Amino acid sequence: MISQYSGISPTGDLLLLQKLGAKLRKKSFLHVNSTKAGGGVAEILQRMIPILNGLGINTRWEIIEGDDRFFDITKKIHNAMQGNPEKFTKDMWDHHYEINRMNAAKLDLDANAVLIHDPQPAPLIKFRKKGKWIWRCHIDVSNPVKEVCDHLMRYCSKYQAAVFSVARFARAMAIDEFIIPPSIDPLSDKNRDLTAEEINETMDRLKIPQDRPIILQVSRFDRFKDPVGVIEAYKTVRKYNDCILVLAGSPATDDPEGEIVLNEVREYAADDPDIHILLLPPFSDRDINAMQRAATVILQKSLKEGFGLTVSEAMWKAKPVIGGAVGGIPLQIVHGATGFLVHSVEGAAFRIRQFLNNPEMAWRMGEKGREYVRKNFLITRQTRDYLSIWYSLENKGRNILEL
Amino acid sequence: MGEAVKSFEFKQCVSILKSTGKKASSLRELRDVLSAISEDSIFHHTYQYFLKGHILEYTNDFAHWAGESLEERALSEHLSSIDPYDFSSIAELRKRLLKAIDDYLDMFPEPRGAMAGDEFYFNQTMTLTFPAGVRVRNLAEFLIAIKYIDAGCIYYHFYEARVRLGSGVDDFSAWIQNVLLKKEIADRVRTIDPFMHSVEGIREHIIEVVEEAVKKDMEVIGK
Repeated sequence: MISQYSGISPTGDLLLLQKLGAKLRKKSFLHVNSTKAGGGVAEILQRMIPILNGLGINTRWEIIEGDDRFFDITKKIHNAMQGNPEKFTKDMWDHHYEINRMNAAKLDLDANAVLIHDPQPAPLIKFRKKGKWIWRCHIDVSNPVKEVCDHLMRYCSKYQAAVFSVARFARAMAIDEFIIPPSIDPLSDKNRDLTAEEINETMDRLKIPQDRPIILQVSRFDRFKDPVGVIEAYKTVRKYNDCILVLAGSPATDDPEGEIVLNEVREYAADDPDIHILLLPPFSDRDINAMQRAATVILQKSLKEGFGLTVSEAMWKAKPVIGGAVGGIPLQIVHGATGFLVHSVEGAAFRIRQFLNNPEMAWRMGEKGREYVRKNFLITRQTRDYLSIWYSLENKGRNILEL
Repeated sequence: MGEAVKSFEFKQCVSILKSTGKKASSLRELRDVLSAISEDSIFHHTYQYFLKGHILEYTNDFAHWAGESLEERALSEHLSSIDPYDFSSIAELRKRLLKAIDDYLDMFPEPRGAMAGDEFYFNQTMTLTFPAGVRVRNLAEFLIAIKYIDAGCIYYHFYEARVRLGSGVDDFSAWIQNVLLKKEIADRVRTIDPFMHSVEGIREHIIEVVEEAVKKDMEVIGK
């Protein structure tokens, strides 16, 4: 399994994975989250579990089950941890705990290392039998609602370590806190190499012409992704350069505002035939891949963002990228080196024009971007990091380890 | 049969970021936390800056933050000119960083605070070292290896070695001098300034020096 990444991932990462695999071989590693499908966590786990098993580590992935009320509560916890005011009663917290207790009775939680993903299954720590337990927080908790955060931290502080995606998300806790950014899988349908035929097939089917430069943003129709700002920037660019704009996203079924934003975007685009607004069905990974590969410039002009892995996806395809300077985007775009960070519509328009008029610079930044992703944002690096933490906890949390 | 030469084994290090849970949103707060934060954290924000592969606009995270987040250019220049390899201990380096900030606070009006979300986060690292699986016995083999090994190897042997051994000497020039007995080449490698280059820049300079030496050696053999 790991050999599939030879020649793609950095050699050092693969070597360290093998060495850690040898140290942890035959030990058991359990991941627990709340969904098998949908969302970035499930997407990466689906790819990571086979890699871990391929290294000889007995890895399992369990899902906690709950009633509608439980998931309403956890959605509220999720929102409150991201700063949205939510009201909580003791009864709600009791239900959260009770569902976890019932899951603990059903699940086999016996493992040498247990990685619990996000707040939903956090109370499972109360039912720890053995092993090293690590809480993995994927969401932005830099500005949470205090009471909710305090309550959740009563569970989280019982773990041996916590993992956050960005340093800014970490909190002052009495346990070891590691910073591990998320990653993309270069071999998945969303990122693997495509043939020219595959790319053309998608572009023809989606009726996107390829006779002019293509500006692309792939994201949900959500105000924080600023699709209207992208159209404004495109309209400015069109005064100087002939190009087309593609806004592609899936309908957000869990977001009642999605429909409203989509209508706003359509209205703003008016009847410009060169603006293509595409609603893609779920599991359109290969089509997204093809559009990214066909694009000339890729935008992620977010106003608020978690990590924004679509930026790494675009960079992996060696495309020049322009991103809003928010969330995890500045960790991926080194301004002026692997792309441009922008703070306004005007900034976005200016950088698009720069790329369209300087293909050599666009190419150079694209190549640097791909290399930056190769070194920092591939799944092999994230797997390596998880195993490193586990290994360090097995070695009394030492900060320097020789293998 | 030639005499057996002690080979050079490339090692590599990988660092995983850890949060200290401490942050600063103004220069004064930065100063206060910096005065008490662990040496591991200072090590990470100064020595390990070179591992990040940034463009060398700045030379440590403190200067980077002063320049980009506080937009205090003069302070950023002062902090950037502090070369961690000039100090024999992190305690001394800490003192020097604090002095630069104190001097600045004495001379200029209090800078504005950082925007929300743009605070300075004090981190440190957990580091794993391991053999890279490459062993070389002479300069020609060394040249091939240095071209293709991961940047983490160059960081370990060229930057980290200076602190690890406490002698301020990198592993490469030590081997070239002590084992290959090629003092002139060792001197040239040793004098490549770690402070003035990124890891990839160091790779290019080492290749240049060693390639020239290998070519020279081959010319001698050919005659």
